[in-house]
This record gives sequence, C-alpha cells and structure tokens, in this order.
Amino acid sequence: MSPRPVTLAELTERHRGEIVGYLARLLGDRQEAEDACQEAFMRAHRAFDRLGPDANSRAWLYRIATNTGLNAARRRSHRAARAVDVDPDALPAAAGPALERREELRAVRRAVEALPPRQRAALLLRQFHDLGYAEIAATLGGNEVAARANVYQALKKLRVALGRGVR
Amino acid sequence: MTRHDDELIALLLRDRRRSPALTRWLGTLEGRRELRAYRRTLDALQQLYGDAGAAPRRIIYYCAIPTPIGRVFVAASEAGLARVSFRQSEASFVAELRQRVGADVVRSPARTADVVHQLRAYFAGERRRFDVRLDLRHTTPFQRRVLMAAARVPAGKVVSYGEIARRIGQPRGSRAVGQALGQNPIPIVIPCHRVVAAGERIGGYGGGLGIKRKLLRLEGSAAASW
Repeated sequence: MSPRPVTLAELTERHRGEIVGYLARLLGDRQEAEDACQEAFMRAHRAFDRLGPDANSRAWLYRIATNTGLNAARRRSHRAARAVDVDPDALPAAAGPALERREELRAVRRAVEALPPRQRAALLLRQFHDLGYAEIAATLGGNEVAARANVYQALKKLRVALGRGVR
Repeated sequence: MTRHDDELIALLLRDRRRSPALTRWLGTLEGRRELRAYRRTLDALQQLYGDAGAAPRRIIYYCAIPTPIGRVFVAASEAGLARVSFRQSEASFVAELRQRVGADVVRSPARTADVVHQLRAYFAGERRRFDVRLDLRHTTPFQRRVLMAAARVPAGKVVSYGEIARRIGQPRGSRAVGQALGQNPIPIVIPCHRVVAAGERIGGYGGGLGIKRKLLRLEGSAAASW
C-alpha cells in the first residue's frame, strides 16, 4: 500500500486516470467521463474535511465518482438515446471476430447497459478496477455479501444474454 | 441457469477454489457448456470494456531535440502539432501537457518525426516556413485569430502588435494581441517572435529576449539587432 495522500490534490492526481477510466466505462463516453470526473473532484473537494483519517480514500473517491456518474447517466436518459463508443461492427475486419462473436458482443453490451446501476458499477469495479468486495461495499454502500451478490447477479444476466446457444 | 452458477462464477473470478462437487459437474456436458459460456461472457466484457474497448483516451506524443537555443520539446496529438517548448525540463513539460490537455503523454520520436525534421532544417537555415497541421483546441477563438495572423508573417520580416491587431480587425487591441502571443502554445512554428513593438523596439518574448533575437538573426531579420 502506498502511503495515504495528505492533500486532496495528491489524492486526485494519483487516482485521476483510473477514475476517468471507470466513468468512461460507466457512461460509455470519454468526454462525458472527463466532465463527470471534474464534477466528482469538485464534490470531493467539498467533502474532503469529512474524510476520516482511517478511511479508505480510494474507495471514498470511487463512491463519489459512482454517485456523480450515475447521476449523469440519469440526466442523460432523459435525453435521446445515444450511440455507444464501442461498436463491434467498427472493429477492424481483418482481425475482426466472426459474425457470431459480433452478435455475442452486441448482446453482452446491451445487457451491461440494461443492468441496474449498482450491479453495473459493482461488476466494473470488480473486473476492471481491482476493488475487493469490501471496497465495493465501501463504495456502493451495503456489506460484502451484497457487493458480491451484485457482481454475481450481473454476470448471470450477461451469461443469459450471451445466449443458450453456446455448445 | 443452473444451481452451480455461483460456484462457477466464484471459480472464474478466483473468489474460491473448486469443490469436488463442482469438479464433477464440470465433467458433465452441461458443466462444460456453462464453463465455456461464462468464459465467453468474461471475454466479451474484457473486449468491450477492457483497455482496448474503453473509450480511447487522447494520447499526445512528444519528443526533444537539441537546437542552437537549447533543448526544444514538441508535442503532437492525432490532430496535429499542439505544443512547442524550450527552457523547460522534460518533467515539467510532460506534467504541464498532462494537465493542460488532459491526455496521456507518450514519448515517441516516430509520431513527431515530421515536425522534428522541419525544425532541424529550420535551425540549420535550410527551411524558412513550416508545413504542419496544428492542434489549437486548447486556445480561445481570439487567441486563434491572433496566432493565425502571426503565422502569416514570413521569415525575415517583422510586424508590430498594432499591425496584428489591425489585421484581425481589432485596431485597438494591441495589448490583447501581446497577451495572446505571450501564451502562444506553439512558438517558433507559429512565429510570435516576428511580432515586435512599435518604433523599432524588440518587444517581449515568453522565451526570453535573447532567444527572440537569436531566432530573428537566424532568419536574417534586421530586427535582431534592435
């Protein structure tokens, strides 16, 4: 473990990359992620005084980012639906997956987008940001059992979306 | 869904080791099929949301070249040349780029080869104008107008701040012109050193007047001795 950053500036500098990455996954848009990250860091600035000395500052930052990101997603859902950044059809043809695989990717992507927000967040945190279940619980609220259940529920739904056709 | 789903997921996420019951089930047709399906699900997730699949972060490439005015750093995005800097350490150049542009900063002589080649020729006295695309996203519209007006001043000539102000249709804006040029992100290539004060005075320069004179001398400009 690296020593705990003393100032908020150090904390945000250290975690900026991963937080933007997380928000980009959550929102499916890099520019929106940059904006949401900025907003999240402003909220962090206002709340930094209340961060206890023993608190997990990384999970704390993820919690603020999650709330900000999910708010942004809610605001957006009132607007028109938008294309998502990763279009399986746009993958290079030479190295491109077979048609069947493209169908699978499309199905999984749709399923991820349809997940309840907490399940989606828990899954992304577990798979791409190396957060343990205790940290996910600290991020999303609830306990470790609930955090794990969220990740497992999410994966089961994605597996169903992938189709029963897999032999 | 099967009654073994949780156990299978725990195995694949390395949350738990496999139990004898799960091992037996994985030997069945159904077990093999489910293992394969979950693996494909995780692969798809990786492909869609992993590093390759996440929305691409802007990357800016940079390089350093030795020149008669010291080490010059250049940085280019996919859109074009974004920054030229000198009299600065590599660490502070990189830190400034990361902060200003919010991009990943990668050292790459290959991605900056074209502008580096042109700059070398310029400092060798073999080139008098640059031909590169510019990335001026991080400037204001006013700054861009000033910078583009300065870019049209040919090597060997100089114009005054007031003249630039007139050329962009703001005849009383010479002070703002001076400020905009002082923040030129792409000095040398956008030749703000060719903009001088009225009455044959050299004016200011962000990089220091010594360097301004050196550049003007290199271009054979009489203003070098002002």
